[in-house]
Amino acid sequence: MRRIDALQVLVEGTADLPVVVTCAATSRELAAIADRPNHLYLLDSMGLAGSVATGVALGLAGSAIPRVVAIEGDGSLFMNPNVLATGGYLRPDKLLLVLLDNAVYGSTGDLPTYSARIDLGALAAAAGWSVRQAADPRTLRAEFAKALEPGGPAFLHVRIEPGNASGVPKLLEDPVVIGRRFRDWLASR
Amino acid sequence: MTSPYAAAVAQGIWASGAELVGYVPSVGVAPVITALGRPDLVFPLSREEEAMGVIGALPLTGRFGAVVMQDNGFGNALTALTTFNVSYHLPLLIVANIRGGLGEYNSMIHSFSQHVPALLDRLGVRVFDLDRRSGPADWEDVVAEAGAHARMTFRPVVVLAQFWATDGKTA
Repeated sequence: MRRIDALQVLVEGTADLPVVVTCAATSRELAAIADRPNHLYLLDSMGLAGSVATGVALGLAGSAIPRVVAIEGDGSLFMNPNVLATGGYLRPDKLLLVLLDNAVYGSTGDLPTYSARIDLGALAAAAGWSVRQAADPRTLRAEFAKALEPGGPAFLHVRIEPGNASGVPKLLEDPVVIGRRFRDWLASR
Repeated sequence: MTSPYAAAVAQGIWASGAELVGYVPSVGVAPVITALGRPDLVFPLSREEEAMGVIGALPLTGRFGAVVMQDNGFGNALTALTTFNVSYHLPLLIVANIRGGLGEYNSMIHSFSQHVPALLDRLGVRVFDLDRRSGPADWEDVVAEAGAHARMTFRPVVVLAQFWATDGKTA
């Protein structure tokens, strides 16, 4: 399963949920599949998707929105693994972090990350997250559905193959527009 | 006993409309955190860049927050602050105690902290300064109005608070 295959499954399950997505290839591929107002693309904030999703989840505590989904990569999470400790400490009930783990920095020449030797799912579990795993589209679909059940923080560790989808255009939208569109979508829920 | 200046900062933060407060620990920040109370709304965050993401995201949900930190933490925060809070036009109140100034005992902290005001200015982040030359009531008013300024300008705003010689000691 490549990143774009996993994103296709996630798009099917997140039409009515806020999605905070990490920068570069992941944002571009998600937008290429479906560019929706419930997507907050972080265009250049490497490592910050989990933190931003934590803040959105805290801000939406008590709202009718059941889940805030972060889509993060292993390279990005290794840049800010504090997300795991903070999530475990604050325990935002609505937070679901989906880790697309291809063991490389996919947007920067496929240089290897620590992932071959360090299990980010185990780190999340040690910090108190409820952890699920998937490595193919059918399992991802099933585990994502289970991960939407109440209670957080939740962590879905998805093993994917390296490789970016070809022919995907750059995401050149003004971040102010992306942010305002996301905020307006949330306000309308 | 809580310093009247620390208490003023805390009162100003609540008066600013902040609903949640994240802090990165510092000996200078501790009296402010104590004065803030409300552990259900005030919590630690691991690093300043994480604070920019967690608290900085609140306006996306229609809410507003504040970060309490020390000035040398801007070294950790700059990329998150510029690529997220500034670029997405997200209001945020940041109150930072000054380490790079008079009364600071740690020699190497000046290497970064003395440049913080110029760095923030260069990035276009608005800074308001507080020091011993005004009293606690002024500090409270400035912190509160800085929060209003952040919302009015749709940008993060920084209050740099120099606790040296307020109450005769560094906070």
